[in-house]
Amino acid sequence: MPNLASRRVVFQLVAAAAMVVAVPAVGPAIASDPAQLVQSTAQQVIEIVKTKTGADRQAAILGVLQSRFDMPAMARAALGTHWNTATEQERARFLKAVATAEAKAYSERFGQYGGQTLTIGKVTPRNGATIVDSRLNQTSGPPIKLEWEVRGDRITDVKVEGVSMVMTRRSDFNSYIQSHGGKVEPLVSELEARAAR
Amino acid sequence: MIGVTRAFAASIRRSIVAVALAGTVVGGCASGDTGAAEVWDPLETPNRFIFSINRAVDLIALRPLAVMYRDLVPERAQTGVRNVLDNLGEPVTAINEVFQGDPNRAATTMARFLVNSTIGVAGIFDVASSFGLERTKEDFGKTIGLWAGVEPENGGFYLMLPAYGPSNARDGTGLMMDYLVDPFRILTFNLAIDWDVWQIGRYGMNAVDYRSRTIFALDDLEKNSVDYYAALRSAYTQNRADQIREKREKTNARSELERRDNLALVR
Repeated sequence: MPNLASRRVVFQLVAAAAMVVAVPAVGPAIASDPAQLVQSTAQQVIEIVKTKTGADRQAAILGVLQSRFDMPAMARAALGTHWNTATEQERARFLKAVATAEAKAYSERFGQYGGQTLTIGKVTPRNGATIVDSRLNQTSGPPIKLEWEVRGDRITDVKVEGVSMVMTRRSDFNSYIQSHGGKVEPLVSELEARAAR
Repeated sequence: MIGVTRAFAASIRRSIVAVALAGTVVGGCASGDTGAAEVWDPLETPNRFIFSINRAVDLIALRPLAVMYRDLVPERAQTGVRNVLDNLGEPVTAINEVFQGDPNRAATTMARFLVNSTIGVAGIFDVASSFGLERTKEDFGKTIGLWAGVEPENGGFYLMLPAYGPSNARDGTGLMMDYLVDPFRILTFNLAIDWDVWQIGRYGMNAVDYRSRTIFALDDLEKNSVDYYAALRSAYTQNRADQIREKREKTNARSELERRDNLALVR
């Protein structure tokens, strides 16, 4: 236990040092308040869901994903160690396919939601990122627990009831790759085929 | 007389199995501490086989039933059913809260149970909540996870249970323990009043009710994954870990003080 505690202290120090270095690099022009970022992103998405449907909505959601989320980093994390074995071309195709798939998933997911609000809770620094707790209040039933991971001025992960989007994709992709000869190509093709559907 | 003795013997035999399994869990946790990386799934092949059977049963029986239940039964009736089922589960929650070292919370749960069973007409109405007695739901898997001293993502080997769905060594053992200590099971069993009818009715209703509330999330996960089995395995493990972590943070004295500090700041 003491070993673990001291390791945590070291980690916090490193994280603190990293933040000291990182903060000036971000610059004052960009909204660097994570809670503000989450709140405005949620507001933007609610606005899109209210006013747009179908392909328009998917395009608008893709815009939000690309401007508010760090999609390349998320896709890379989702691919895990397989990122290193992928060719440059596969990586590019993968990034594009994942962005399209997520945009599609999100526009359909919110299509079934309606009249919901987001309440921002506690903001805590963790492992060099900032965690923004929030509750998605539903019209019926208990609120859903949402946790946002923010690095710099971008969202890098969303946890729904403790289930991380990136972690789940990572297991999902990794398992698919392993059952298809350890190659990234079949996964990319599958994602592209799904995006085209 | 003979029947009672035999039942008692069977009950003891089951307890021994459970204790033995609990032993393997604790042992398993100590050796395979993989943290958050990938879920430990040495039984993947049989698990996938059971998963495919579960999915077939779900597709032709459980899901359609759950959809009908969700869409056709009036919402107030659904709430009533859920309240009755939740109320029957309160004693098990209270027992777990004792094992979790929180007798005060256990007392609140028992107070809820007494209030709802009487004033709430056999649990149909959750009047206790309007008295300020909030509902908690605990199970033995969480109790083991609380004390296990490993990352809560590590619940021993992953296990796909027939009919029940995703679980692992920790939660599977927990499920068995909850079943063994459940006063309602013991009561109906010992009184031998149509034991199986009551139990099957209760577990069946529980299954339909629970499935009706997970339709959206599971459909979403299935649609947006390339390997549904792996995605569900990851999502289940993370969700359970989150519940246990929340539990640990609540019982951790330091975080409790921090929580109070935050509250004081708000005031």
